[in-house]
Amino acid sequence: MSRPVLLVEDNELNREMLARRLRRAGLSVVVAADGREALARMREHSPAVVLMDMSLPILDGWSACRMAREDEQIRHIPIIALTAHAMEEDRRKALQAGCDDYATKPVDFPALLAKIEKLAEQ
Amino acid sequence: MTSSHQAPALWSELLLRSLAEVRELFSRLEDELGPASGDDFAHLLEGGSRLKRMLDSDAEQPSSHDLMNVLAAIRGYAEMLLEDIGELIPELAAALERLLKAVQGANDSGQESAADNGQPRNITSEPGFILAVDDLQENRELVARYLSRSGHIVVTAAGGEEALSTLEQTDVDVVLLDLLMPGMDGREVLYRIKQHPEWRATPVIVISGSQDMDGIIECIEAGADDYLFKPFNPVLLQARIKAGIERKRWHDREEQYRLQLERNEKFIRATFGRYLSDEIVTDILERPEGLELGGDLRRVTIMMSDIRGFTTLSERLQPSQVVTLLNRYLGAMTDIIMAHQGTIDEFIGDAILAVFGAPARREDDADRAVNCALAMQAAMAGINAHNRAEGLPEIETGIALNTGDVIAGNIGSERRSKYGFVGHPMNVTSRIEDVTAGGEILVSDSTLHSLSGTFQVGTSQAITVKGIDESIVIHQILGANP
Repeated sequence: MSRPVLLVEDNELNREMLARRLRRAGLSVVVAADGREALARMREHSPAVVLMDMSLPILDGWSACRMAREDEQIRHIPIIALTAHAMEEDRRKALQAGCDDYATKPVDFPALLAKIEKLAEQ
Repeated sequence: MTSSHQAPALWSELLLRSLAEVRELFSRLEDELGPASGDDFAHLLEGGSRLKRMLDSDAEQPSSHDLMNVLAAIRGYAEMLLEDIGELIPELAAALERLLKAVQGANDSGQESAADNGQPRNITSEPGFILAVDDLQENRELVARYLSRSGHIVVTAAGGEEALSTLEQTDVDVVLLDLLMPGMDGREVLYRIKQHPEWRATPVIVISGSQDMDGIIECIEAGADDYLFKPFNPVLLQARIKAGIERKRWHDREEQYRLQLERNEKFIRATFGRYLSDEIVTDILERPEGLELGGDLRRVTIMMSDIRGFTTLSERLQPSQVVTLLNRYLGAMTDIIMAHQGTIDEFIGDAILAVFGAPARREDDADRAVNCALAMQAAMAGINAHNRAEGLPEIETGIALNTGDVIAGNIGSERRSKYGFVGHPMNVTSRIEDVTAGGEILVSDSTLHSLSGTFQVGTSQAITVKGIDESIVIHQILGANP
């Protein structure tokens, strides 16, 4: 995978942890801490896959996802929504907003890697 | 029977304990770790400190989102560390695995409360909630380690009083009880548990330090469910705990089933108990088909009574006086009819319709009916004394009895049905009632011939009944011959 993975997460403890795990798995990682920054990074780096937390400051994950889908330049980039456990409603909203898949937090890392690889190939 | 509100507190206790264990091991083994792992540990412990601050803060409940994030970070670092050093430092790996289990547990309990919308929660049979009571800290930790590794939630108590106060707060599945403790010893705790109405069913496994078989037998006689000698085999401990949990689950299910039955029975008694004697309600309860709609042909003695001239009387009275008068009369009559095992079919204003011989048939149905009628007439003097005292008019009742075959059963629709009777003998009884004077008991020929006791019979007469051509003979009953 030559292009990076974009990780969007406002909680810095979690963001650092996930970024570290992704790098350990051999991926290059770009990070963003809110929805607006996420859209900017998507345009800038054209990542292979975006991992996006849904509850983000400034611009939440659902809105960022919807806006990405309306943007000609980045609409094709697959997005995996990161949602809290048991929040069925959040998952449904994420898929409606145009996310391609979702993973529940705390993430099952091997399963998340499999999802990233699958979406990056397409 | 789960105590959901306590679950988060207990998970946090388990989590903080696991974190403390990891922190302690890390400070001891720091030099053996590479710099990358050291960095991961620093992050892990930073997550732990944040978690502790969140849980300790009295000011506000941590938001589930913040809690989830910090748990996610702890889990992530613990998993990475396990990948890196798992095989190198088994002691640390075991502590990390315990930590991951605690994170998983905290996460599951959070998920459970998020999914809880006041709907009844399914009781999962595993893991169990174990209370380990031992005065020695190392023993408590050992047991907690063994059991939490296989998914149980373990709370510990350092003495008898502490154990009892934990039992008061939580629904414990199994108590693991050391017998030899300073202060309140294990035997005393066992007695208290087995004498407590709610704890009695909680399995207790006693642990004895010496091979003291007599002491164990004494405990089993006092209600202990199982025992172990120290030092115990962890596999044996697991097996006994598993058996204890199963026993407790079985008891809980049985208890729920019993409560359900009790509710049903209460409902049936409340529905039927107003009209039927206790004996008849019990009879219905004992036959599962008892409440089905349907019927059968039965020979019964039918009783109808009413207050003579009640309609005219009630026109002269205040509505509240009418109700007082009626309730006093019907209340007294109901007691007498039930005492004679009659089934009250209904009250129609001041009239009473009762039946002897259904749902349960007895040899002396007709005799009981006549004796009942005599007792009802005898009770009128007392009722009238009360009426006079309250300035209410005196009343007189006439009672008609008839014996014949009727269809008895639950008649009506699914939504509203009652145990009732239909058939020509019902009409005949009503016709006899029409000619009954105040204070009089009239019985049909068929009732008279069904009697096995002897009664004083007054005048007899023939009356005609609409719908049948021949006339029927009726007799006045004046009293019972001893």
